[in-house]
Amino acid sequence: MMNKFWFLTGFSLKKKLKSKWFIIVNIILLIAIIGVINIDNMIKAFGGDFSNTNEIYVLDKTGYSYDTFEKNLTTLNQTLEMEYTFDIKEENRNQKEIEEEMKNTDAVLIILENSDIGYIKASIISDSYIDSMYYQLLYQTLSSTKNEIALSLTNINPTELAKLTSNIEVDRVLLNDTKNTEEENMEMIMGTVFPTVILPFFILIIFLVQMIGAEINEEKQTRSMEVIISNVSPKVHFFSKVIASNLFVLLQGFLLIVYAILALVIRSHFGTGSTSNITSQISSIWNSLVASGFTDKLIYIIPLALILIILSFLAYSLVAGILASMTVSMEDYQQIQTPIIMICLLGYYLSIMAGMFNGSILIKILSYVPFLSGLLSPALLVIGQIGITDVIISILVLIFFNFILIRYGLKIYKVGILNYSTDKMWSKLIKAVKSKEV
Amino acid sequence: MLKVEHITKYYGKNLAVDDLSFTVKSGEIFGLLGSNGAGKTTTFRMIMGLLDSNQGTILLDGKKIDYSVTDQIGFVTEERSLMTKMTVKEQIIYYGRLKGLTEEEIQKKLDIWLEKFKITEYKDRKIKELSKGNQQKVQFIAAVINNPKLLILDEPFTGLDPINVEQLKQAIYELQKKGCSIIFSSHQMEHIEQFCEKLLILVKGKTVLEGYLKDIKENYQKKNIKIRGDINKDEILTIPGVISINKKVDDYEVKIENSKVVEKVFQKISHHNITKFVVEEASLNEIFIAKVGESYDE
Repeated sequence: MMNKFWFLTGFSLKKKLKSKWFIIVNIILLIAIIGVINIDNMIKAFGGDFSNTNEIYVLDKTGYSYDTFEKNLTTLNQTLEMEYTFDIKEENRNQKEIEEEMKNTDAVLIILENSDIGYIKASIISDSYIDSMYYQLLYQTLSSTKNEIALSLTNINPTELAKLTSNIEVDRVLLNDTKNTEEENMEMIMGTVFPTVILPFFILIIFLVQMIGAEINEEKQTRSMEVIISNVSPKVHFFSKVIASNLFVLLQGFLLIVYAILALVIRSHFGTGSTSNITSQISSIWNSLVASGFTDKLIYIIPLALILIILSFLAYSLVAGILASMTVSMEDYQQIQTPIIMICLLGYYLSIMAGMFNGSILIKILSYVPFLSGLLSPALLVIGQIGITDVIISILVLIFFNFILIRYGLKIYKVGILNYSTDKMWSKLIKAVKSKEV
Repeated sequence: MLKVEHITKYYGKNLAVDDLSFTVKSGEIFGLLGSNGAGKTTTFRMIMGLLDSNQGTILLDGKKIDYSVTDQIGFVTEERSLMTKMTVKEQIIYYGRLKGLTEEEIQKKLDIWLEKFKITEYKDRKIKELSKGNQQKVQFIAAVINNPKLLILDEPFTGLDPINVEQLKQAIYELQKKGCSIIFSSHQMEHIEQFCEKLLILVKGKTVLEGYLKDIKENYQKKNIKIRGDINKDEILTIPGVISINKKVDDYEVKIENSKVVEKVFQKISHHNITKFVVEEASLNEIFIAKVGESYDE
């Protein structure tokens, strides 16, 4: 019987891997991941240019603001890692002449004038729309310029000026011994990183639920089930489907990681290298994580998260298999799987919003709930809202839940798998659970 | 040898099969008849181990049927049990592996069977691209690829043209010669009459008739007389024991209560110009309708 189990498992897995949709989906995923990570390089390759020089005409009617503006623009561009390149010209021509020249170009005219209310005022003139990031950069440069000029006009010496313009020194103190400020910073970082990391897991659960339902329904609809179940027990059939589907999603998850690594390798070899925005952002996030000591915690976070994820996959696949056995068509299954998808979606949203529930008992309890725990517990552990003990409790609850699913689910599966009646599905289900046969 | 002893099956409070017993020896073809819902499919499912009976035992060569025995059973289901997206080869390998065969064994046997059914060119074709007849052949191959000791055929000729029916019949006879026990179910009584030495009629799960076909026909009192010639229908209908008289192409078919009526009919028409007078046993179809009808009336 074990031979038949491995044959069925291997057959089911091979069938998925050889299917056209798997190949097409993976080609799309590979292209999409490489594309997203290398979007700037790709645009350049097709003739676009991120390093287009931005022409800026500055009409300085104050007579003393141009140098400060130019210096601030360069500094802010670097500080904010914006990668813009500029061609700044101080203009003596009149406004109309410059505006005439600017027609049908991306050039920007900045007019700096004296103001009785705020030392200086400025106008930003362009022929058409300019992108919001660029506008923000110009706006912040103008604000800094105004501040500097205001300070210098009030005869404050350079030392005082430095003191005035420097950032406020904040000494952050946390009274709770178990908390540290690095974790607090990391919480903010994880707010952006975690949704990206958890999204594939969410998608893989949807894949898993769909796949098991489709496969079981195909065998039921074609009446092949009678022949299959006459040769292998429902138990063997059930586990072969569950194991094959779980292996498939784990493999798909692994492939996603490979695609991401491949995309980063392509970027580092053919991309813009150190000036790249994404690479520098990743390095910046990584440095923050190292500084916070988070990377040391990965030693236990990764195994715990992996166990939770695998057990969650198992729970979702068990439920999907049990429900699929009770349905007779894919349409029926689509309806019956909706609650599972909704629960999974809830888990996903809770996990990406985990940071907002700081200290909430409810969120801690929800992190123990099977179906939610796989998504929520790792998120809460990463941001330090729960500890290892809580995750271990989640794992134990999930193991117990899976045991219950197997114990009672198999009874339902055995009855449902050869049942083609659509009447009173829930009463059949309850009756099956109460039956003595396993 | 298959031995079914006193099996009973309930679905909730509904009795599906009631104290059913029969035996199918090696090399014997056994007909299991019954109208829709009589309990045939339930019986097949119990034999295949798909359903547990509430009472009774089912033994194949003295062993209780479980998953260690089902490798020796072939099953052609009433509805086609084929995964239509697979190719013929993939499907047979899939079912063959589930019967415990190796891929090499399956490939060898598959080629022989495809050759026999003259569908070699469809080996790598998807099942959904095949005609119904060829799909049925594939289903048959899947059921016999393991050289079963017991073969269950639930309506195997449904949707087949006469040529395909003939090919399948020959294949069934070959298996019978090899000693395979065959249980056969069909609504087409002529197939049962051709094939089965022994049969059983089920009505609402209960056995209403069982035995060798020859004995059943002999013991069935009602007979038919085929008469060709100029006769007076009304005159014959007055004879006690004559049930009906109908014209069928060139002949008249007179249904009579028992063989004693034959002489009375002959005497009545002997002065007419008669070229044919043949006494026939009732067809299985008539026996079936009569037995099932009686049981429903009860």
